[in-house]
Amino acid sequence: MTQLISIFLAFLRIGIMAFGGAYASIPLVEREVVEINGWLTYEEFGNLLALDELTPGPILINSATFVGSRIAGVPGAIAATLGSIFPACVISMIMLHIYRKYRKLDLLQTIIFAVKCMTVGLIMVTILRAAKNSILAAGSTLGFDPLMLVMTVVALYILRKWKPNPLWLMLAGGAINLIAALLK
Amino acid sequence: MAEKVKRWWILFITMLTISSTANSGYAILSVMKSTFVQKRKWLTEEQMEDYIALCQGCPGPLAINASMIIGYHVGSLGGALAAVLGCAIPPLVIMLLVSVFYAAIISNNWVRVFMKGMQAGVIAMLIDLIWGIFKNVTQKQKIYPLAIMAAAFIYTWFTKFSTLYLVLGCIAVAVVSFLLNKRKEGEK
Repeated sequence: MTQLISIFLAFLRIGIMAFGGAYASIPLVEREVVEINGWLTYEEFGNLLALDELTPGPILINSATFVGSRIAGVPGAIAATLGSIFPACVISMIMLHIYRKYRKLDLLQTIIFAVKCMTVGLIMVTILRAAKNSILAAGSTLGFDPLMLVMTVVALYILRKWKPNPLWLMLAGGAINLIAALLK
Repeated sequence: MAEKVKRWWILFITMLTISSTANSGYAILSVMKSTFVQKRKWLTEEQMEDYIALCQGCPGPLAINASMIIGYHVGSLGGALAAVLGCAIPPLVIMLLVSVFYAAIISNNWVRVFMKGMQAGVIAMLIDLIWGIFKNVTQKQKIYPLAIMAAAFIYTWFTKFSTLYLVLGCIAVAVVSFLLNKRKEGEK
């Protein structure tokens, strides 16, 4: 039971801070779930990001369900999800009433802008950590994994140029890595 | 009374359907728009736009905030809760199934190799994402956005403090910037 509460509270904290759009929650989940509570490793968190592309639904609920279910099964998933959306529900109601009373949105736009900038900085951290984890490989002769580096750069290029659904790139990357490993 | 409950049910079922099939928050918003504004005429286009802006200022998933706000508009608190439930249940169920499947297969070494390879795509996606936002926010000014980005990066990379203080600081900076601009406009 205490576990359910701590999962609920952890995602409640994330839910309160999750300003700035869908992907803003990624670094927040990372900090709370991997660094503070140690519920996932960086590797597992990376896997979660990939799975999130596969499934519908916001990253926040997907993370909550994934982490919650790993720790405490279905009740854990539900506790985590409830925690993650509770702040959203409360704050959106408050915002709605403020809006109805004052009818002005320009301060809000300024805040949204600043939070967007903040999100860029935060995701930069997530990217570097993910790169450190996947591309810089301990124990290899070069100190990094050249295949992963090349795949990442190529994937980025393809993404910028043709804007495909990222899921295809992820699956291709997975397949290539698998084939490369099988060939060794 | 029956009319209200009927609306709650429609909200629940509609959100359940939308949430199961849409891929992103924005996709959900656009289907909500065509369903609630165009098809059912429960709110106007203008109200929808304002609500979307409002959602973006709230924490949490866009879809949840939109469900809450539009649900409340259509059917007060019951409507809000019905919409949120409809929105949250599909990802919960689907992700549960995926998690179980994941747990079953992840112990396999080949699966781990595959998932590692997927990280190339994940990283590329994240870079592409911030590239877009970066270009967007640095269109009109450079120093202010860059300063916030740098501060956020340094804070998160070098300290272990909660992101909450960063968010509060960011909001404070935005409010100050807003007030300074207002004063500048007042002086003109």
